Amino acid sequence: MTATAAPPPEAPRGTLLLRVGGASALLNLREVAGFAVLAGALLLAVTTALAVGTVPMGPLRSLPALAGAGDPADVLVVQRLRAPRLVAGLLVGAALGVSGCLMQTLARNRLATPGTVGIDDGATAFAVASVVGASTSLAPSAMALAGAATAAALTLGLAGGAGTSGYRFVIVGLGVGAVLGAVTSLLLVRAPIDAANAAFPWAVGTLNARPTTPVALLGLGLAACLPLALLAGRRLTVLLLTDKVAAGLGVRVRAVRLAALALAVVCAGLAVAVGGPLGMVALLAPETARRVCGPHGVPVLGSALAGAALVLLADTAGRTVTTPVEVPAGLVTAVVGSPYLIWLLLSSHPRRLP
Amino acid sequence: MLDGNQRRTVSGSAAVGLAVPVALLALTGLASLLIGSGEVGPVRSWREVAGGAGDAEAAFAVWHLRWPRTVVAVAVGAALGTAGAVLQAVARNPLAEPGLLGVSAGASTGVVLVITLGGSVATLGPHIAVTGALLGCLAAVGAARLRGVGDDPLRLVLAGAALSGLLGSFTSVLLLVDQRTADEVRFWTVGGVAGRDVGELAEVTPALLLGGLLVLLVARPLAALALGEQAAASLGHRPGRTRLTAIVAVALLVGGATAVAGPIGFVGLVVPFAARALVGPDLRRVLLPSLLLGPVVVLAADVTARLLVRPYEMPLGVVTAVIGAPVLVAVVRSRRVPAL
Repeated sequence: MTATAAPPPEAPRGTLLLRVGGASALLNLREVAGFAVLAGALLLAVTTALAVGTVPMGPLRSLPALAGAGDPADVLVVQRLRAPRLVAGLLVGAALGVSGCLMQTLARNRLATPGTVGIDDGATAFAVASVVGASTSLAPSAMALAGAATAAALTLGLAGGAGTSGYRFVIVGLGVGAVLGAVTSLLLVRAPIDAANAAFPWAVGTLNARPTTPVALLGLGLAACLPLALLAGRRLTVLLLTDKVAAGLGVRVRAVRLAALALAVVCAGLAVAVGGPLGMVALLAPETARRVCGPHGVPVLGSALAGAALVLLADTAGRTVTTPVEVPAGLVTAVVGSPYLIWLLLSSHPRRLP
Repeated sequence: MLDGNQRRTVSGSAAVGLAVPVALLALTGLASLLIGSGEVGPVRSWREVAGGAGDAEAAFAVWHLRWPRTVVAVAVGAALGTAGAVLQAVARNPLAEPGLLGVSAGASTGVVLVITLGGSVATLGPHIAVTGALLGCLAAVGAARLRGVGDDPLRLVLAGAALSGLLGSFTSVLLLVDQRTADEVRFWTVGGVAGRDVGELAEVTPALLLGGLLVLLVARPLAALALGEQAAASLGHRPGRTRLTAIVAVALLVGGATAVAGPIGFVGLVVPFAARALVGPDLRRVLLPSLLLGPVVVLAADVTARLLVRPYEMPLGVVTAVIGAPVLVAVVRSRRVPAL
């Protein structure tokens, strides 16, 4: 190595080398294009969510109304009704997307999402328990987190660890979810009718209720978790090789696994505390991100974008297509997501699942 | 495949396979008559059952409330237990359970769809439930035979769970949109035997009997199929026809049971699991214990459902989920999952 024979390194094909002072970053063009597409889709979903509803108005009226300009009635509808719902949907979708992406990578199985391994059901059961037991607005979030953690611990313990034995983790999760779902039903049956009605949103998955404190908590939690999840995603990319190779590359395998699992559980728990168990989002979002951004590492950010767009679209469809009846967003995502899940199972060979 | 079998003597296991289920059935049947969520306790009920003590309240509770639901529970349990054993043999998968594979969900969707389109429960229920169950069955087993999913029992279950989820949410959407249907079929979507009368059972009895008859016809060829496609064919059986007959039988049994009691999950998983533990894996010997243990599980779950939240009652399907999920975990954890 001599100092003279060192031309500046060329960026590999399909990538872009950014240098700002001493710092540099290597951007994959396909990935960047994918992010742009997902961000565009999200923007479209946001615009649609603001513009349609029982009071129809085009984006030309709704966007100024969001800023407080135009017809006072429009301003009221957009700022008081649609914007809070929009924020809740964005946060819930992003959190579910991140959670699903981490879980899938962790279990090396695209079917292992918070919904399929019982975490949603655990969070739901505990949240319903807190509503039925003591009607406060803060408790459901904390309880949902505790429920998500309990379910994750149960599934992990009963399955003997994630990512070791193919579908076992997922099926054990289905069993754990069935029991916790039964607990939810038990609670709803026992509860007096008022409490049962108050707890019902947690059982279906809808943005109709959107209590403010949990939304704020979810926002804070996501702000804290997303950077950590991005970091964990980089480490998890290495874990996709075998554990030994990862350890050889200097990754602390157990610590990274545990951290990623904790992040996934926190994100899913907080999301359920706001929107209830929105089925299939955590499955579809990482899948979409992977398809759009290409197979580069663990698509944490892309999953967040895709999840947010999915939840917004599902919610908008649910409240506009079948007026005057409002279909909860959770049912819309389930109806859209289940055929995809079946196709996924039939079309891919088990050994090839990541 | 037979190694678990060879250790027992045939006569010994047959006796166990018969005596234990019969004893349990008598016990749970009696419990179902004696125990309830209301005021009439076991002692008063026992006097009434033993000879009638002129206690009008007890007589009403025992003969008008508990007797019909006991009879319905026995019929539904027998149908679901038998259907579970047959479906597991067809799919060669100990996890293939009518509830998990989407058969029950198909039956409920069929019912709800027809009522939404203007039919009524009274006239159409059983037939449509059977048709829906048949479609759910064909979809699940058809999916299993596609692309070798059948090679991986866990994947089959996941496909079934996804199918159930899809049908379930479709049903929910229909119910949400159409209030009249929601009122009419609410009891179907939860699952339970409370308040069912023997007349409703009589409507589906032909379907259940026909299903049972088909099971009898198909038991031997199906057991031969466990040896492998080629071996069965060389023994003079026709695997394709056998499988189709078995699926029709399962659809009749599950559809009939669902028409009366709504979707009740996990019975078809727990019952054959217990029956195999008693008599070994041979389908021909599993059938009778399954027929007897099905009512045991449903009755036990129903009695539990009455006691858990007194003075209310739990949905029966919730209790069977709690009983069934640990069995599911046990089956998945045992190393013999693919070996049926």
